[in-house]
Amino acid sequence: MMIEKMHSFLKPYLTGRQFVISVPFLWLFLLTAAPIFIVLRISLSEMDIASVANLWTWAENTLTLKINLSKYLFILHDELYVKTFISSIGYALENTFFCLILGYPFAYFMARAKTHLRPMLLMLVMLPFWTSFLLRIYAWKTLLEDNGVINNFLIWSGLIHQPIQIMHTQFSLMIGMVYAYLPFMILPLYSNLVKMDTRLLEAAADLGTSPWKTFWLMTVPLSKQGIIAGSMLVFIPTVGEYVIPELLGGPQTLNIGRVLWDEFFSNNDWSMASAVAIVMVLLILLPMAIFNKYQSKSYEGITS
Amino acid sequence: MAAEKTLKLEKNSLHQDNLLRIENLTKIYDGSVKAVDDVSLTVAKGEIFGLLGSSGCGKSTLLRMLAGFEVPTNGKIFLAGEDITNLPPYQRPINMMFQSYALFPHLSVWDNIAFGLRRDGMAKEKIMERVESLLKLVQLGKFAKRKPHQLSGGQQQRVALARSLAKQPKLLLLDEPLGALDKKLRESTQLELVNIIEEVGVTCVLVTHDQEEAMTISSRIAVMSEGSFLQVGTPDEIYETPNSRLIADFIGNVNIFEGVVDEDLPDHVTVKCPECTHYVGHGITGSSGMSVGVAVRPEKILLSKTKPKGKYNWCEGEVTDIAYFGAHTTYHLKLMTGMILKVQQQNRTRNLEGGFTWGDRAFAQWDDLAMIVLTH
Repeated sequence: MMIEKMHSFLKPYLTGRQFVISVPFLWLFLLTAAPIFIVLRISLSEMDIASVANLWTWAENTLTLKINLSKYLFILHDELYVKTFISSIGYALENTFFCLILGYPFAYFMARAKTHLRPMLLMLVMLPFWTSFLLRIYAWKTLLEDNGVINNFLIWSGLIHQPIQIMHTQFSLMIGMVYAYLPFMILPLYSNLVKMDTRLLEAAADLGTSPWKTFWLMTVPLSKQGIIAGSMLVFIPTVGEYVIPELLGGPQTLNIGRVLWDEFFSNNDWSMASAVAIVMVLLILLPMAIFNKYQSKSYEGITS
Repeated sequence: MAAEKTLKLEKNSLHQDNLLRIENLTKIYDGSVKAVDDVSLTVAKGEIFGLLGSSGCGKSTLLRMLAGFEVPTNGKIFLAGEDITNLPPYQRPINMMFQSYALFPHLSVWDNIAFGLRRDGMAKEKIMERVESLLKLVQLGKFAKRKPHQLSGGQQQRVALARSLAKQPKLLLLDEPLGALDKKLRESTQLELVNIIEEVGVTCVLVTHDQEEAMTISSRIAVMSEGSFLQVGTPDEIYETPNSRLIADFIGNVNIFEGVVDEDLPDHVTVKCPECTHYVGHGITGSSGMSVGVAVRPEKILLSKTKPKGKYNWCEGEVTDIAYFGAHTTYHLKLMTGMILKVQQQNRTRNLEGGFTWGDRAFAQWDDLAMIVLTH
């Protein structure tokens, strides 16, 4: 009803096709492009104690445009920020790697399982989403703490006498990250592997390739699209991840999400926080854009 | 002593001539479904052997057992005298040209053909040489760098053939080799395929559901149904002397009269049918009083407007259907018993006058060697 009304109102200006396309465009503009521009604008402004200064002023018939690049220069020169960016990307790469080596066999066996078992296996992968993300990360705390389930069990079994420090280490951070993001790796890999033409594997075997070699020469290259999609889905959100490092990571964990939080809420330096956010977006977007360009070239080869 | 010697000799020659020997091969799925049921077969070196049957008859399962993709439930497969029943596909000197080709989409034509050679660890220069000669053989030299999806159906088919020939297999398996091509292309490709196979001199086992394809390509055919062979023979043997109603009906078109053997003599028999009495110019294995089917192929029947002389091998009917094919015309003749007789006439002259039209009375006749007497 609503859409029909809107359409009849817009009819003199837009054709049906333009209207249909304009809906997602409007959505993208309002919720993606506009916020990024606002953040960009804040990052280029001075801070007036607790508020953001205007980018331009109009006084005495002069329009003054003040672009403040000091925050960006600061980020580039301050060792802490550079280190944070590097370590955040490092964690994200590490997480992507672990998700891939755990997720690939998982997706592979799901795709090769009997047809009637597959919906159930898919369900099991998606089951964690039925509980809140935050709750699930908290649950890991009770498992990993000094007084947690794992340590208590190990002490009870006599393997150790003192609780070992698992919580607030790199290890607990990685466990949380891999746990939370594994489904995002498995699902695109599964949907790719399940569609794979098994006759290609037979053809490879027929031409003298052992099963192990067939896996590396056929299955892996043919599932490239799935590997890329899964890796992107894991890598991108983990660069800026805040909740998991905050709850499971150690005090020494350097992470962009936490730096952003501190700049916004502890230092109240909105423009610094915005500058950090913009740099992060660029760091993720640039390699992706280059990658996409290369991808669309080789893509023609496989899909059509 | 002498007898033993000849026996030994025979065995030896058997070994040399028979490249492939299948003994009592059986494949049972899910404990009860017999896909292939106790099949035995020998294929001589250089032969192109066709497995013909409708879908689900077990021909593909049999081929997949030869390739090594399926493990037989029972029976043995010998290649050049060696038991290969339990060898995995990648250790068999057998290559397959897959249905709709299964070309590797991420590799170029060149790499597709070289794939098997590389797995064998062949020297680079030798691979170069071999791939180049194969590209020449299938006339795809210009397309070496292309990816499979950039080729037409016919070109893909030739890449698949080159890839399966690359390792010089002892046995080449062809799974519906022309199935993915359209009719016109199929005819030219058929001849090309046979030429290449004969040039290479490789022994082939071919699977197809298309009887024309099986007849033109194969030197010998096995007709399969429900997992077993109904008849094995050369294409003309199977066409001209089918051993059952099923085969006669499956291969080509046929009219089958049901009747009873009247006279049974060594040099001829007569069969009484409601439509007419057949005089068959050769003896049969049967006896008088036995019910048999008499099969007559439509192209062996002559249609005329005048009543034939004699009392055998003709009947009268009304033309109810005419199908014009250009080179020939097929008439449907409704006989007085209600049986529809299919008659095929060559269109020898361009003059269409004097032909038959709907509702015409016509006499169909055939000679005394045109029939096949089917006892089952």
